[in-house]
Amino acid sequence: MILIWMLCILLAGGILCWLAAQRQPLLARWIALITVSADLLIACWLFPVYQAFPDNSSWFINYQANWIPALGVSFHVALDGFSHILLLLTYFLGILAVLCSWKEVRERTGFYFFNLLWTLAGISGVFIAMDLFLFYFCWEIMLIPMFLLIILWGDVRRHYAAYKFFLFTQAGSLLMLLAILALYFIHGQQTGNYTFDYFALLQTALTPSTAMWTMLGFLIAFVIKLPAVPFHNWLPDAHGEAPTAGSLLLAGLLLKTGAYGIIRFVLPIFPQAAADIAPWMILIGVAGIIYGALLAFSQTDLKRLIAYTSVSHMGFVLVGVFSFSSIAMQGVVMQILTHGLSTGALFLMAGMLKERLHTRDITKMGGLWTSMPRLGGMAILLTMASAGLPALGNFIAEFFILLGTFSNNPVLSIIATLGLILSAVYSLRMMQKVFMGPLISTVPVVDLSARELIILTALSISIVVLGLFPQPVIDTVHHLSTIHPLLHE
Amino acid sequence: MNELQLIPLLPFIILAMASVVTILLIAFRLSHTVIQVTGFLMMCLVVFATWYVRDTLPEEVPPLFIVDGQAALFTGVIIFCVLVIGLFSYIYFEEREENPKEYYILLFLATLGAAILTISQHFISLFIGLELLSVSLYALIAYLRNRNNAVEAGMKYLVLAALSSAFLLFGMALIYMEAGSMKFSGIAEKLPQVSSSPLFLMGLGTIVVAIGFKLALVPFHLWAADVYQGSPTPVTAFIATISKIGTFAVLLRFAQTIHLQQYPLIIAIFSVIAISSMIVGNILALRQQNLKRLLAYSSIAHFGYLLVAFLPGNEAGTEAAAFYLIAYSITLLSAFGVITLLSSREHEAETLDIYTGLIWRRPVVATILAISLFSLAGIPLTAGFLAKFFVLSAGVQQAVWLPLAVLILTSVIGLYYYLRVINTLFGTSGTADVMQKTVHPFFHVSTYITLVVLAGMLFWIGVFPGLVLQGIRLFLLLH
Amino acid sequence: MGMSLQQIVFGVLSIISIISALGVILSKNPVTSVLCLIVTFFTIAGHYIMLNAQFLAVVHIIVYAGAIMVLFLFVIMLMNLNAEIEPQKRSWLKYAGAISGGALLLVLLAALREASVSSLQPGAVEIGLISNLGKTLFSTYVLPFEVSSILFLSAMVGAVVIGKKEGHES
Repeated sequence: MILIWMLCILLAGGILCWLAAQRQPLLARWIALITVSADLLIACWLFPVYQAFPDNSSWFINYQANWIPALGVSFHVALDGFSHILLLLTYFLGILAVLCSWKEVRERTGFYFFNLLWTLAGISGVFIAMDLFLFYFCWEIMLIPMFLLIILWGDVRRHYAAYKFFLFTQAGSLLMLLAILALYFIHGQQTGNYTFDYFALLQTALTPSTAMWTMLGFLIAFVIKLPAVPFHNWLPDAHGEAPTAGSLLLAGLLLKTGAYGIIRFVLPIFPQAAADIAPWMILIGVAGIIYGALLAFSQTDLKRLIAYTSVSHMGFVLVGVFSFSSIAMQGVVMQILTHGLSTGALFLMAGMLKERLHTRDITKMGGLWTSMPRLGGMAILLTMASAGLPALGNFIAEFFILLGTFSNNPVLSIIATLGLILSAVYSLRMMQKVFMGPLISTVPVVDLSARELIILTALSISIVVLGLFPQPVIDTVHHLSTIHPLLHE
Repeated sequence: MNELQLIPLLPFIILAMASVVTILLIAFRLSHTVIQVTGFLMMCLVVFATWYVRDTLPEEVPPLFIVDGQAALFTGVIIFCVLVIGLFSYIYFEEREENPKEYYILLFLATLGAAILTISQHFISLFIGLELLSVSLYALIAYLRNRNNAVEAGMKYLVLAALSSAFLLFGMALIYMEAGSMKFSGIAEKLPQVSSSPLFLMGLGTIVVAIGFKLALVPFHLWAADVYQGSPTPVTAFIATISKIGTFAVLLRFAQTIHLQQYPLIIAIFSVIAISSMIVGNILALRQQNLKRLLAYSSIAHFGYLLVAFLPGNEAGTEAAAFYLIAYSITLLSAFGVITLLSSREHEAETLDIYTGLIWRRPVVATILAISLFSLAGIPLTAGFLAKFFVLSAGVQQAVWLPLAVLILTSVIGLYYYLRVINTLFGTSGTADVMQKTVHPFFHVSTYITLVVLAGMLFWIGVFPGLVLQGIRLFLLLH
Repeated sequence: MGMSLQQIVFGVLSIISIISALGVILSKNPVTSVLCLIVTFFTIAGHYIMLNAQFLAVVHIIVYAGAIMVLFLFVIMLMNLNAEIEPQKRSWLKYAGAISGGALLLVLLAALREASVSSLQPGAVEIGLISNLGKTLFSTYVLPFEVSSILFLSAMVGAVVIGKKEGHES
């Protein structure tokens, strides 16, 4: 029940923001902040509940209510450790998103926060839905407000970017809907029990070819969202053109729903088909790592550069998931968290720079260290995190993934390691272009304000903490090793 | 024939009476408002009559009619639509100098035609119902005859509808020649002997052509955009909802009685029609700058989707089709209602420029339009999503993969132009404010409220479809 | 050749009707067209009589040849349509029409060639007589009869609405 309250708080908060902004835009900001903070508090409060739960490998909160009984659709939400840390990430980044749009958004404030909160609601719904119909429902709900965020508050080429984002993801999700329906009917015909419930559908026995086709329906949707290489096309545009908070949510959360979907649905429901397709997916993942890194290196647009680093990092997720080793799986979860934090932070930085310099072009920046030492210091830490420097969270994630993959697929994992080197190259280039060298911009810039400092400090601290004490996270997702038979090794 | 058998027909008799009452009111020179209110009350009476006769269902009125649950369901949807359209008509016609009174006679007669289609089980009643619908529509389309292209639209509809009627008659004659009966069940009895006869199949083919014309399916869709654009907006809403529901209802009954879906050839023909409707409708809509034309093309595509639910010929398909029609009518009514509300005395609010930044000027109206567009696009939280979902699930159940794949592909194409309109709604507003209506605040307010209720229904059905679904099942069981 | 009288009459009527129907569409002069159409109607009425449907034949002549054709002639004469002022149609339209019409004809012929038309039982030969028709119409088919009357009402109202004079009160 508490989970439904979390969703309701966000949905109601969004509507309240819209209404309140008619009178006073500032009120909308505070409402949004309070709403997301309340959800974060609830999510934190769930921690002791989780600890107290005797068997910490499973669903410590499980709530089911009838929704459309005629179809076997129920409002089934549940939480395990994996979903829980994703929820925490969602609300943490949610607060930062609200904070970073505090000054940036000046017009239609109420509607902006409405969209922001509804996107968050959709994302949290995706992470807790245990009914495939509900899952699809939330999967779609997070898209529309995101689309509006991009198209209304985005940059110059926002229309193109927003359409591209929407059409790509929608094509994938309709395929997923078809696959969900196929699964529903196959399961119904086998057992006579027509239901969309995740736990029931897990038991479906599929012939190899049906399993392959149905899995592809799911996988394509998730891989588009992730994104993996042939489907990554929408990402640089959407990330580049979105407002700062939009980029933060896209990079930090929306991409993670793709990874979540693969881990939660593709592997457990289609174990054999997933094992069959695994070599190809690892190949795609490695291609993404290298290709994303190379493209990131050649970008001059700061936000597009960061967007391509996401492609590269998400390649690691794909490699880790499909290498079927429990170490790599722990790495994947760490990567999901730390990439969300570090890339989110980089986008925030890009947003702050843009607010001051009115450009995203790194050839027009340079020498900013002298005028903005605080931002520069933060930037070094965050870029190094993104590049995978030891002692920071990303290092552990990528190291685990490579370690887990090496035993299965040494050749590809060696190639993937190149990605780490390349990431150092593009990160250093970015730092050098923006903060070092001669001063190019003549616009007087001020250093970070207290609000911005709080945002970046919070992110930096969490990245460092995750790098030094990853064990709690790894503990919470320990049970993921049971989702696939090959993972036991 | 005795008076007892007339009882199930009571709603239809009242519907016919409504038009006569309107004529009398006009003869006594009563005002538009009186006619409007009386018409509204008569329609409510029809609803009550339907409720009153519910226990007698299902009842056959030989030889032409059968009043069963399915007929009651579709008639109910039709009456609901005409209630809403009648309300929209008031503010639309009150603004214009033409005398709006005769409009209501024709509106009720056309509704009667559509309602008769839903209870037909015989070629004669099918033909008369269809003609009653079309003949009234000729005049309705050209009603504002000195407006831009009303007469052109009326003429186009007249010629093509007459042509399709000729096809229909020819097909009926051929089938009659082979089967020796015009009653659907009579044809069904003779089927084993005649089903492979070329004349019979040709007859079926020409009937499909005629129905295709009425439903504006590709390749018989050429009239749709011009007629949608040229007609007065409430009439466009009528064509898009009631006329198509009636035609689809009779197609459904015909198919159910003679088990149309058993013939691979017919299935192939319908698949081709469905696929081409989805593709052509969506692609032609992509570049439209006129909202009414855009909705015309989108309705072509939507009936393509509907045919995907029709193809399997199973119970799930019928349910999906009924749900789809309900969701689709509510959606379109709210879209056309917004157009009506924004239309001024001189201009129909049909070009997209008028809608630029509407959300900042008229937030409620624009939100309603946005919701209905989301529903047309099949986005969750709206009825359109569940409608599409049911169609998909009916298709998956019967494994008609090719039309399903096309459905998915074209839905994505379709999204583009719905999003384009929504994007226009949210654009930066530059143009002057749309003038407020001055006529009759009561009707203005009630139109407003109706729109809000319609949008609310879209949400409600989109989130809790259980009740509607149960209702549909209950009705469909009565046969 | 054992042609019965019936067959001879049928053949003559059919040939005349086809020739006159062709005359309708091929004639350049609209008045000739209309006269040909009248001939066609009469021959079709003859067919009805041969099918023992006297009522239908009479109605056909009264309604079509009598009322509608006279109206047609009036309109044509009043509008003074001549071949010269007939708008020039684009030639590709003609060809397209001819090709698609020909294709339809081909399909129909092919289907008819395949078909074996079983002769219908001449059971109800008396149905075409006026009294039987009236009885059927007003007992079994009274409802559709009523609905058709409503259909005429709708046509009438429609014609009045479209045809009435412009209102000048505005």
